[in-house]
Order: sequence, then structure tokens, then C-alpha cells
Amino acid sequence: MNKFLKNNQKNKLYSPVKLSSHHLLSIEGMTKDEIQKLLDRADFFANLDRHSDTKFLPGYVVLNVFFENSTRTRVSFELAARRLGAEVINISLINSSIKKGESLLDTASTLNAMKPDLLIVRHPHSGAPLLFADYLNCSIINAGDGRHEHPTQALLDALTIKRRIGRLEDLKISICGDIANSRVARSNIHLLTTMGAEVRCVAPSTLMPSNLEKLNVKCFYDMDEGIKNSDVIMLLRLQNERMSGTENPSEREYFKFFGLDEKKLSLASPNAVIMHPGPMNRGVEIASSLADDPSRSLIKTQVEMGVAVRMSIIEALNFTKNQT
Amino acid sequence: MTYSVFKSIKVINPATSLNDVSDVVVENNKIIAIVKNFKQEDLDDKRPITSYDCSGLVMSPGIIDIRVNIGKTENLILTQKIAAENGITSMVILPNQTPKLNNPSIIDHIQRQSENSSLPKVWVYGAATKDDQSLEMCELGLMSEMGAIGFTNGNKSIKNSLVLRRVMSYAAMINRPIIQHAEDEDLSGLNQASTTSIKGEMNEGEISTRLGLIGIPSCAEVIMIERDIRLAKLTGVHYHVAHVSTRDGIDVIRKAKKDGVKISCDTAPPYFTLNETKLLSYDTAFKLSPPLRSEDDRLAVIEGIQDGTIDAIASDHRARSKDTKIQPFSAASIGASGIETLFLVTMELVNKKIISIDKAISLLTVNPANILNLEIPSLDQNKNATFIIFDENIPSKIDKNNLKMSPTPFNGRKSFGKILGTFINGQPSFIHNDLKVKVEK
Repeated sequence: MNKFLKNNQKNKLYSPVKLSSHHLLSIEGMTKDEIQKLLDRADFFANLDRHSDTKFLPGYVVLNVFFENSTRTRVSFELAARRLGAEVINISLINSSIKKGESLLDTASTLNAMKPDLLIVRHPHSGAPLLFADYLNCSIINAGDGRHEHPTQALLDALTIKRRIGRLEDLKISICGDIANSRVARSNIHLLTTMGAEVRCVAPSTLMPSNLEKLNVKCFYDMDEGIKNSDVIMLLRLQNERMSGTENPSEREYFKFFGLDEKKLSLASPNAVIMHPGPMNRGVEIASSLADDPSRSLIKTQVEMGVAVRMSIIEALNFTKNQT
Repeated sequence: MTYSVFKSIKVINPATSLNDVSDVVVENNKIIAIVKNFKQEDLDDKRPITSYDCSGLVMSPGIIDIRVNIGKTENLILTQKIAAENGITSMVILPNQTPKLNNPSIIDHIQRQSENSSLPKVWVYGAATKDDQSLEMCELGLMSEMGAIGFTNGNKSIKNSLVLRRVMSYAAMINRPIIQHAEDEDLSGLNQASTTSIKGEMNEGEISTRLGLIGIPSCAEVIMIERDIRLAKLTGVHYHVAHVSTRDGIDVIRKAKKDGVKISCDTAPPYFTLNETKLLSYDTAFKLSPPLRSEDDRLAVIEGIQDGTIDAIASDHRARSKDTKIQPFSAASIGASGIETLFLVTMELVNKKIISIDKAISLLTVNPANILNLEIPSLDQNKNATFIIFDENIPSKIDKNNLKMSPTPFNGRKSFGKILGTFINGQPSFIHNDLKVKVEK
């Protein structure tokens, strides 16, 4: 039984999902069933009145440890934890892990000594949250690690799609942009292919990672072809430092070939929706007018779903940890 | 001033193609006889005899490890001792140490510091250029007089073609090989002056894509080897490729050998036993340079060993502190310990019947000596009594907690074989408790 529910046992809203791990480090390795249950539970939270009593975890301590800048993800996790009644402490350690002489493990064990229940980690290095999971006693959520994964983003994207279209199975979903450097792309690829969607990746060849088709996706270098008849178009942020150089010649060339505009969108399915994990570069990945088109753009819904998805995850990790 | 007799030991001596059970008699630092059924009366005096019961054991020349990083010069003697315990009787130090081995006095210093007749002999490669990216040649001639046996930039490629051409030409003049870490560092993103934010971390492919780590394309190796072969032909130098790891690289070397180019190469145990899938857990013990490659590349390394394209196996020892390894993969240091596992992992090739034991011993002893123009070790009458004794049949398992240096990419690996004794210049540098000794009057 949940140790945080002592005085709250009769809360009818409490119905956590049990996962196979008390960490959420990656989508890769999660089962279809687990993903489905988390999405259903998140859907429940999304439908709930914001003032409903979902404070299942009073006294539960969450450390939001961010080694990289973030506004939306950090705030979204904080809100989710607070709606569950947890206590949240935000710790910003930007650049400190990279400084010489400082060990990530020392930071981790210091935090561990404060006995948190959950550590939410964002780190510029792929795999860093796995290191925390190896050395800490509490649950770990990967809030984005380098170019590896951003599992909660993929879950909230999936929930957004499900709520709009009603399913994930057999949908044609095009992920467009800087796939090579995107953790959002990797998590989405794993999640959507696991759930039975047809995933197409569209990128300039310099930003397409090696052997990507081994992840059960189709790769396209021509955006018109890559989004043809697609139900969902997910755009990825092009980092400033990659807008010119050897990965991409210029911003305007990128927009011409890989930016989403009305003309390209007309090739997609008539009701195709547009998504973007944010923050957007208007006029680079997406024409500004499309980003603001409420009939097409799900960008704001994605942000909204973030809180519900993260509530379902935090609740599930606590439950899973107490079961094991 | 005693005699030592090693009774009923299988002597494997590649230099004379010997593989036979005999008794080996040692006086001071020399082997005085290899005979069947040695009897005390055969000796012309009555000095005491230390007798070793060696039935079922093997004696071979000691391992010559031609690729060892000691990190800091302070680690030298410790590294020598650990090397001795693991069957190594000579080792060659790379110049990327602190301080850098880029001038005659430091070369001299290292050799004096390491001089100890019962510890492994330390040889030194001199740096080819003053710094890794430097355009200035080091004093190859003076370093060579002080004992440098070859020139290399160690863990970095000699990148500039003009500089390499001149270094090769000069090395050819003084009859020393050039040893290259073959990697196009612009392509792998490891060139310090690189303007891109990309810094290669592992082999490029499906695994790097899954892990979100920056890939180094395997062709970064062969590109360098191909260029270097042209320059080796131009200059006539003996060109040696260190730790080859790719099929393409090996194919090109194989062809160059056929064409008569003065070329040789070595590989290291990780490249014939492990592949890139080991990185799936982000375990930094597998962060190596060159990176662990694909399974096809691993098989090509084995083929290269079998057909003789690969001349030698070296440990590529590069011990790292735990602090620099318990890090996110991208931030962790590169390299792993190797001297403690070189023998065992090479023996795996024998146990899996990939190569004969004679061949394995050649790859570790005679061939490295050949590459570097060192005296060919041979267990024969009047030769130096530097050899190892091992059990080739005993099952063994590598356990990182029992190793003295870290990290190892071979934790948990099973093999056969155990070093029971290392003798250098007739003196026991290391003797395992299991080796049975008896002193007779």
C-alpha cells in the first residue's frame, strides 16, 4: 500500500499504474501495455477538474535537478508533483557538471543523502540518468538526456494525438527536422512504433542518424514525400548552432526544404495535425501562421497534456517502488 | 649463483619452432640446457639446485607488450610489477604521458628509472612531433640514441601530411618505425581545432543512434591508413598501424603487404573479443579509442590474426581512475586497463581453436620483437633466461574486483590459463604459490 496514503485511503480517484521499473529512464524497453495504461491514467487526469483532490502523495519529496536550461519541462513536472500533493524542490546545476573537478556522482550522493523520493533529471549527456539510477535509492525520471531520450515528452505527445484522433495504431506520423540530435525524436520513435503507428523520419541527410531504419521507421530526405498522407506532422527544433555550418547551410535554405508551410502541408492528410515540442523557431521549422492555426496546431495541447502525463508517471513510480 | 631446473615442462619456442616437453636448466641469467631427463650428475659442480616441478605446465618467452600507457611517469614501477605478474617481460611505453616523452632527456630518465634486472624491460617510443597538433618534429635522432625504438604520437594521429612525410622520411634514415594511431580526427570530430560541436564517442551505427551518442564512422581508420601507406611508399619507412579495429583497415593492410610495402600492424584484445553492443548500458569501461566496432569488424580482426595480416597483439593498456570513469559516457575518460588481461584474453583464441598456442605465443613475443627490431626472444642454449611459466588448461574468470588496475572491459569473462611464474634474466620476477619449488643440495 502507498505509504503516503495513510490518511487518504478512501480517495476514490487513486488508481495508480504498476510498471516494471520504479524509474522512467527511456521509452525503449517499455511494453505496449505499460504505455497504454500510463496514457489511460493520464487521460483520466486530463479530464479531471483542476481542483479535484488528487493529493495522493503528501510528504513525497521530489527534486527537480536540471543540468540544462528548461522552463516548460521543469514547470510541468513541478505542477504535476504539486497536484499530487508532493513537495518539490528545484535545483539548477547548469554547467556545474561539466566543470572540471566536479563529479556527478558526488552531486548525486549528496542529493541522495537528503532522502528524496524522486529525482527528476535533465542532463546534457546521453545516459546520465542511468548513472543516477545506479547509485541512488530513489526513483529517477529522465527529463531529457543529451541526444538519447525524453520519455515524458513522447508520452505527452502520444496522449495529445490520442485525444485528438482517438488512436495511435496505424496512424502515419512524420517526425521532421534535426533527428540526429533529438532526444524527443528517439523517444517518439520508440513509443509510436511500439504502439503500432507508421513512423516516417524526414531530415536533411546531415541531420539523419546512422542506421535509423533499424528502429523500424522509414527515412525521407524529401519532405513532400515524407509527409504525404500523414496524419500527424511532428516538427523538431533546430538548434541555433546548427542553422549554419556543415550540418545545414542556412536558415532560409532549411525553411525552403524542411520548414512546414501551407504548400507542404497540403500534401498531408486533409485533417493532419501539427505538433512541436517547443520552443519553436518560427520561420525556420514552421511558418508562423501554421503554428497559430487552432484547427491544425496541437502545440498548446501538448503543453497542457504534459502535466497530466507526468502526474500519471509520478504516481506510478511511487506505487511501483512500494510494491517492490 | 645457483642452478634452476624446470622439470618436465612443455617448452614452446617460436624462434626455433620448438614445442616439446623437456627439462630446462638455468644458470644465473642464461639457459644452459634444454634436455630430456636431466640428471644432477650432468652438472659439473655441486652447487644447490632450485628445482621446479613443472609437469603439465608450459614455458614460453615472456610477453613483449608494445603498447602501454602509464599515464604518469610515477606509475612506471607499479606498472612494471603488475606487468610481471601477468607474464609481460618487456613493454613499450607510449609518449602521451605526463610529462610527454618528446625529448632525449626524458627518454633517458624513463629508462634509468625503470632499470631493474628483475622487472620487465621498459622500452620507449618517442613523440614524433612536439605536441599532438604540432608542425615541429622532435629530435628523433637524439631520442633514438637515448634508446627510443620508434616514433609515434601515441593516442593521437600524426595528422598533417607534410609533417608525417618528413617524420617518416627522417625515421627511415635512422632506421626506426613510425607507429600510427590511424584515425582521421577531423572526421571523428576529435580534432581539437574542429569548429563543429560534434565529438565522436563511439562507433557510428545503429547502436550510436539508439544511445544518442556521437558516432565515429569506421572509415575514419582506413582513410588514415590509406594515406599513410602512400607516404610510407614514398619515404621507405617501416610503417606500423597500432590497434587496427576495422575490416576495411585490415583489408588495406593485407593488400599493402602483398604489394611489398614495409608495413606491420597490431591489435588489442577488445577488438577481437568485443563489439559495439557492449555499450548499450553506457558502461564507460567500454569507452575506448579506437571505439569498439561492429561484429563484422570484430570477425575481420580475427581473420586478420589467423591469416597473419595482423602481426601482433598488444594490451593497449590505458588504466583510468574510477573517478574519471564513473561519469556520464560523454564526460568519461577514454581507455581501459589491459596488462592484466592480455594473456588471458589472447588464450581465449587458443581455447576456441581460432589459433594454435604456438601462434598465440608468436603474436605476443617474437612478432612484436620483430616489428621493433628488438632481439628475438628464444628459449635455447646460451640464451637469456627470460621466460614465463603458465598452466594452459586451468579455467579462469576475470573479476574486476581482483584486478589491480581499472577499468576492465573483460569483467566476468571466462577463459583458460594462468601465469604461474615470470623469470627475467634468470631471476624470479613473479612466482605464484601454485608453482611447486624444491631446493636440492
